[in-house]
Amino acid sequence: MASPAIRFDRLGQVFDTRSGRTEALRDVSFEVARHEFVAILGPSGCGKSTLLRLIAGLLRPTSGSVEVFGLRVGEPRDDIGIVFQKPTLLPWATVEDNVDFPARHKRGRVSPEERERAAALLRMVGLEGFAKRLPDELSGGMQQRVGIARALLMDPDILLMDEPFSALDALTREVMGFDLLRIFAERPKTVVFITHSVSEAALLADRVLVMTGRPGSVLTDVVVPVGRPRGPETANEKAIHDLSAYLRSFLLQKAA
Amino acid sequence: MTSVPTYAASSSKRQPKAMTDPVAGASPFFRRLATAPGMATLGSLIAVVILWELTARIFAIPSYLLPTPSSVIQSFSSIGYDRWFVHVWATLRVAMIGYALSIVIAIPLAILMLRSPFLSRTLYPLLVVVQSTPVVAVAPIIIVSLGAGDAPRVVITCLITFFPLVVSTATGLAATPPELIELSRSLRAPAWREITQIRLPFAVPYIFSALKISITLAVIGAVVAEFCASEAGVGYFIQFSTSMFRLPQAWAGLIVLAAMSLALFQLVLFAQKSLFPWSLPKKD
Amino acid sequence: MSLRATLTSFALASSLIAAPALAADKVIFQLDWLPGGDKAPIYVCIHDGFCRDAGLNVTIASGRGSTDAISRLAAGSADVGVADIGALLAAKANENVKVTAIFSEFNKGPHALYVIKSGRIGSMADLKGKTIATSPFTSSNFYLPLVLKDKGVESSDVKLIKAEPGSLGPMLMAGNVDGIVAWMTDLTRYRNQGKEAGKEIVVLPWSAAGLELYSASLIANDDFLAKRPEVAKRFVEAYKKSIEFAKAEPAKAAAAVKAIVAEISTEDVEGSLNDTLPLIFNEVTDKDGLGVFEPARLAETWRRVSAAQSIDPAKFDPEKAVTRHFIPAK
Ligand SMILES: Nc1ncnc2c1ncn2[C@@H]1O[C@H](COP(=O)(O)OP(=O)(O)O)[C@@H](O)[C@H]1O
Ligand SMILES: [Mg+2]
Repeated sequence: MASPAIRFDRLGQVFDTRSGRTEALRDVSFEVARHEFVAILGPSGCGKSTLLRLIAGLLRPTSGSVEVFGLRVGEPRDDIGIVFQKPTLLPWATVEDNVDFPARHKRGRVSPEERERAAALLRMVGLEGFAKRLPDELSGGMQQRVGIARALLMDPDILLMDEPFSALDALTREVMGFDLLRIFAERPKTVVFITHSVSEAALLADRVLVMTGRPGSVLTDVVVPVGRPRGPETANEKAIHDLSAYLRSFLLQKAA
Repeated sequence: MTSVPTYAASSSKRQPKAMTDPVAGASPFFRRLATAPGMATLGSLIAVVILWELTARIFAIPSYLLPTPSSVIQSFSSIGYDRWFVHVWATLRVAMIGYALSIVIAIPLAILMLRSPFLSRTLYPLLVVVQSTPVVAVAPIIIVSLGAGDAPRVVITCLITFFPLVVSTATGLAATPPELIELSRSLRAPAWREITQIRLPFAVPYIFSALKISITLAVIGAVVAEFCASEAGVGYFIQFSTSMFRLPQAWAGLIVLAAMSLALFQLVLFAQKSLFPWSLPKKD
Repeated sequence: MSLRATLTSFALASSLIAAPALAADKVIFQLDWLPGGDKAPIYVCIHDGFCRDAGLNVTIASGRGSTDAISRLAAGSADVGVADIGALLAAKANENVKVTAIFSEFNKGPHALYVIKSGRIGSMADLKGKTIATSPFTSSNFYLPLVLKDKGVESSDVKLIKAEPGSLGPMLMAGNVDGIVAWMTDLTRYRNQGKEAGKEIVVLPWSAAGLELYSASLIANDDFLAKRPEVAKRFVEAYKKSIEFAKAEPAKAAAAVKAIVAEISTEDVEGSLNDTLPLIFNEVTDKDGLGVFEPARLAETWRRVSAAQSIDPAKFDPEKAVTRHFIPAK
């Protein structure tokens, strides 16, 4: 069997700072298969963002290991896309320049293919016709779409999304969720998706991990019993409702 | 779901301005004139000048206490434009060279301080010491050791303008969203591009607010230097006029100096507006 | 004036400054203060050809006080200049600055007290319990306690305020102070200021109160004197001629200053020059001659300076601060 896309093995993470020691993660072990969409739920400060940073190689584990496609992560890897909670676009660059920024930043130039892909990505996230606008002229939801397009520019296998919709209003957030389903149906990715919304996790993910409070570790690992493709109607399915209810009560009792 | 939902678009920040224009009834020309930036300021300025002239005449205030605007204006023309040109150019030259030198040193230094915490730790206290030393106190030493010519005045100007530039640039470079730094690291881009493509542009608003402070300081620096040693310059001219008890002439110099500072400030603002429009504070 | 004319005259003016006279020796002259009528001789020297005739190409650097002028002369940024010999004596006694006085210009101190005519203050002796103002860096401040003491007034009995030179006149006219310490060279200016305020100004020179001093002198860099003694000699000769010209033709001398310093008013220069001439030409000049350092008067100057500065008078021989080698023969 091929190795999983991501594998955490008894990982521990401790931060030593001037104000003291923080044990952020303890004994975390889980795997994410290729093209699997895994959502992570957990209280604030339990180390979810730290997990993403470890996968991207921006942080070295203090104990245990992280593997991506069977290789231990030692340094930053560029085959991974990241979407942050805030869009964090470059305010001076147009929407299209923001999308092809990774290419310009990595190599100093943008190839014609990358330019084309940027245009295609903008179409995919529904921002056709906004290419020449500045981020400032866009709504929060539109800005986050630019952020998603930027993360997809280098066509990474793995996409890390850290509470990408939590700064948006409820309605925009829901629309963005359905858009994500469509995007990944077109072009499957391995996704690790952090969220505080139980229903969002259930609707989007193949699996949901629930984490304990600090030091964070995996409390439970639930498979979402709904197939794909999914769409707005999926949100009304009983299985999704049941799972959401289960996760919610679970979080209320244990995780907090 | 391929089109942008309308509610997302309508949440845009742009909204039509409320129609509360006080001169809405006037003819378009006068309306434009009355609402043109600075018109109100100019109007009140003229009123103050007239009031000042009248007060000085009615109460026969001696010129060494408060010269009348008319005597100030008269001394403008009695000096001769060629002499004004010499003085303004002397001050402008020193202020601009000192300012440019300050920028050329301060920005790379701020970058170095960002890259090296050691340098930052050692330089910061030194910068604070330099900044808190009154320039007026060190100016004579600088002038004696650097001799005649523009060099000592340029160094004094540089000393005065330097601190806000370094501190602001360093603050701006460090104020970049950490997410973008992580993005840069995850892309494994060369470190210098993190500076040129992310940190420096993000520091632009900070750098410009320092540039605006420093341009007025540059004029002050040049003038302070001229007070200590010079044969020309608006500061020298003011000092000279005061020593001759020619107060109206000194006031004329002061007005020229203020106009210079204002013009230079506007120039920096104009540069920011045309080169980095996105870096200006947002207006609603 | 049209822009073209302005530019042309500017170009002309700068080319005049830039183009050196053929084979002329370059000399930088250091003033102890800003240009003015009291500095007329050097402008006469340049403008009326005395310098050129002596084969000299002289440029003027303004200064900010005698100490400033002396340190710039010592640093070599100027060759020769004018400064108070008292400041030179003190500087030489404290540290061995490489400058020497070569010619005496003022053989009386310019120091004075200005009061408003009211009868309240008729002499320095009347200052007891009064408030007077002075500027922070003037050399007069050193001599004030001596003059007061001569007249039997304790320094502690006089309230002394330090203020910007330009604000002294207004303070006096406004009645904020009973008197101000200023130089004889500014007499006309203060009188005019008094006229504008409707007040009559009375000046009490300290030389009349018994302060016998040499004052402004030509002082030169020692290197300059050692390496270009001929130039120095020619310069002093030309300078002396210029002084005599200024005495004979004060109006022309004032015009010379105005020609070089456009910002100045001719009447102001003339007034100041007329106030200055008695410091150069007086009974001391009649007795000893122009430019001369008479040993007894030099010794008396040092006695006063050392007392004012609290320096042991035996520590330094004032003769070491002057050379009479460059004073032209009569
Ligand atoms: N670079 C760091 N240095 C020190 N402590 C850190 C660092 N990154 C995260 N932490 C700490 O680790 C814990 C987990 O952080 P994080 O992964 O951001 O949590 P979450 O994303 O789940 O809210 C927090 O207590 C946080 O303060
Ligand atoms: Mg987080």
